[in-house]
Amino acid sequence: MNEAEQSFYVDSSDRLIDVLRDRLGLKSVKEGCGTGDCGLCAVLLNGRLVNSCLVLAAQCRGASVTTLEGLLNDPLTRKLQSKFLEHNAAQCGFCTPAMLVAAKDILTHTPRPSTGQIQAGLSGVLCRCTGYYPIIQAIKEVSEEEKERS
Amino acid sequence: MTEQLSQFLSSLKEKAEKGQLLYIGQNITRVDGLEKVMGKPIYTADLLDRNTVYAKLIRSKVPHGTIKDIDVSLAKSVPRLLDVITWRDIPGINESASILPDRELFCSSVVRSTGDILGAVVAETYGAAVDGVDAIKVSYDPLPAVFDPIEALKPDSVKVHPGGNIAKQMKIRKGDVDRGFAASKVMIENTYRTQFQDATPMETEMGLAFPRDDGSVVVIGSMQSPHNTQAALAKILDLPLKRVRVVQASTGGAFGPKSDETPYDVCGAAAVAALKLRRPVFCSLDREESMIVHTKRHPFVIRHRTGATAEGQLTAAEVEMVSDAGAYASLGVYVLGRATFHSVGAYEIPNVKVDSYLVYTNNTYAGSLRGFGGPQAAFAMESQMEELARRLGMDPLEFRMRNMLAPGRRTATGHLMDAGCGLPQCVEAVVKSSSYWHKRELYRNQTGPVRRGLGMAFLIHGNSLGPEGNDYAVVQIEIGRDGKVSLGTGLTEYGTGAVSGIIQVAASVLGVPVGDFVLERPDTIKHGESGPTVASRTVVIGGNAAKLAAAKLRKRLDLVAADLLKVDKRDVLIVDGVAYDRHNSASNVPWSRLVEEAYRRGVKMAEEGYFMAPPSPWDAETGQGTPYLQYTWGALICEVQVDVETGRYDVTDVHAAYDVGRAVNPAGVMGQIYGGTVQGLGYATMEELVHKDGEVVNPSLGDYYIPTSMDIPKNFKAYIVEVPGTLGPFGAKVIAEPPIVLPAPAVRNAVLDATGVSVNDLPVTSEKVLMGLKRKPPE
Repeated sequence: MNEAEQSFYVDSSDRLIDVLRDRLGLKSVKEGCGTGDCGLCAVLLNGRLVNSCLVLAAQCRGASVTTLEGLLNDPLTRKLQSKFLEHNAAQCGFCTPAMLVAAKDILTHTPRPSTGQIQAGLSGVLCRCTGYYPIIQAIKEVSEEEKERS
Repeated sequence: MTEQLSQFLSSLKEKAEKGQLLYIGQNITRVDGLEKVMGKPIYTADLLDRNTVYAKLIRSKVPHGTIKDIDVSLAKSVPRLLDVITWRDIPGINESASILPDRELFCSSVVRSTGDILGAVVAETYGAAVDGVDAIKVSYDPLPAVFDPIEALKPDSVKVHPGGNIAKQMKIRKGDVDRGFAASKVMIENTYRTQFQDATPMETEMGLAFPRDDGSVVVIGSMQSPHNTQAALAKILDLPLKRVRVVQASTGGAFGPKSDETPYDVCGAAAVAALKLRRPVFCSLDREESMIVHTKRHPFVIRHRTGATAEGQLTAAEVEMVSDAGAYASLGVYVLGRATFHSVGAYEIPNVKVDSYLVYTNNTYAGSLRGFGGPQAAFAMESQMEELARRLGMDPLEFRMRNMLAPGRRTATGHLMDAGCGLPQCVEAVVKSSSYWHKRELYRNQTGPVRRGLGMAFLIHGNSLGPEGNDYAVVQIEIGRDGKVSLGTGLTEYGTGAVSGIIQVAASVLGVPVGDFVLERPDTIKHGESGPTVASRTVVIGGNAAKLAAAKLRKRLDLVAADLLKVDKRDVLIVDGVAYDRHNSASNVPWSRLVEEAYRRGVKMAEEGYFMAPPSPWDAETGQGTPYLQYTWGALICEVQVDVETGRYDVTDVHAAYDVGRAVNPAGVMGQIYGGTVQGLGYATMEELVHKDGEVVNPSLGDYYIPTSMDIPKNFKAYIVEVPGTLGPFGAKVIAEPPIVLPAPAVRNAVLDATGVSVNDLPVTSEKVLMGLKRKPPE
């Protein structure tokens, strides 16, 4: 759990999202539908982006789970956060944690993504405020600045 | 100090010396940005504690019926269930309604739509509450129902409410339409139909109620208008207003329905249960419920008859609008007004006759949604403009420009446009950006299966509540001993960034950086009644209130600074938190010292600004007058690519320009343009909440599509035009709602341009385009 080992009992019917929010207090994980359509509960499970409302907690035995809380000291995530602020990419903010986790996922697997690759990488997370453009722009700029640095 | 920062400071100082505004027009990061990118627990559902119990609403499964019995016997055996509350448990008035008192919180005898609420199950866990709802058996005597607003208008129709099905009627009478049509060479008559659109804020409705030992209640919730919620709850609970404290939590999107009844529903149910059970109660809507229960965009049927001379001069428009309210009037009363006043769009027409009706049916109810009647009106009018231009053989841009409103011309209500009308500048910007004339030539003789088309629409959007009530706001500013400036208001932040805009206004007047401001959570115990946070009015009306409050404080600080600097108060400059002698910048006092000195002298450091917009009179019989105090203007040109063999099309390019008077925060304005346009493209191309016999067929995000990151135009160019208005601070006009209006007609017109197919009912789906292509005679 966010780089720290945690052990506890879960019910066979407990959803990962509920364990994260209610048991572990990881409130950045949001529920927008509970049916796997909105992606606001997206977390990294063994490095893959998943909807935590569709994953049973019991399936996560021995797995690594990362939420935004676990990325707050990650240099790439911090850059994404500051670009999100600069571009007004967090408006109501409800999709923002999932968008940041998805953005981190995109840049981890594709350090120099095309606009199309960014769009595809974000397509599982819905946003109703921004029209996505500011979010895409923020991710693009982080990837460009990372390239310049390296 | 970095060079960049020192440059910024000296530019601010220069501005202040010239008497200009420090932070207006700057892309300053919104005050609520940091907590959002950090994923902080700031939303209602993040605030539950272990004591909290859950309330789940019991909803009607029939569209119209008399309630015979609510059988809770099976539910009572659900483990961990605490209680079932119904209308009998309501201490006060059983009402959850906005304008007309036509809606009960918990239905007592009759249900009028499938979204109606009968009560709530309260349980120790969310799951038990859901099981409890499932175990409740409600029996009804079914009543005949009506689902088509045109049917509902007929005298022999089923009556949804005892008083008849017309909830509101409005009209415009300008000139003489018969004479206008007689003078016309071409006349087009069409009927347009629009659909239910769901707002789909990413956070659904939530309310959390805490009972207090003294019998009062504290409610935290996701909402636009805490003071309206307080008033609604005080009635439901039979408590004095001040015994109901309502706090707005961070709100994950709203777009209209959170200014209507659902916040009263969830907060009301939670509060009734909390006071009865003496436990904190959380009531939330899941996505399916939210889409069924909350207000949606009204479907309209619009019959539009429009005439023009051979030269392309509009002569007359006769419009009949029928708006499907669903089972309750909600804000539909005012939505109808906005649709009526905007029914002939951004054009001057000498003769106008409009009759519009808000009609009850047994569909789920409609109410506020971004645009508020504007999108429906613009879809019909801009479609008519396109059809007329084609009939006249004129270019649609030329035809529009000939008739568009500009300084010296009059709206449908006879409102004379002054120099604040920036429509021509918006048009110029998008014509240039889209290379319109070049593209027009390029697409003239297309062959093959893939065709491109150009479409456009022009915008007029009335600012201020106007016919929707007194337009006022209160903003409270307090400079603390630590120099931090706290700003509080009943106006809420739910994503737009508008309250940050208010802070930019206050910061500019005070001369303190935005970063020194603390935004208070809207709280009815601390903040004065500010009216609802609707109609995109926050920056315009709230900004004026902030300006007044800040000016009072600034006056006092100037006196203190003058003493400290030993200069006349007129020579004091306060720039980015430092007070200077205008003539000698070496002589200065930092903000902290200034504040400390002010406190030492006992200067009053808290102030309130109250601003009320001037009256906007209009005549109910003729609609003539000035229903709005100023207007936001806009123009949009889009390009589509259509596969004429399948009907599939993509909106590839959008060029949009909006006259916002004065952009307080340009990045914020762009955010509204991007977001509103994409939401408007959803309305244009894919979004439709389908009702079948009163039941919502697709209440889920798996069946009701909203645009994803894959659905946005490849090329989107947005422009800010600044022609100052007279109402807002420093000339600002509203921007949050307007960008949703133009995409639907522009896309429809672009598809027509590419294919020759007129789709007159929204959304413009590929299926409709294909059907139209099949009906069309071969080329």
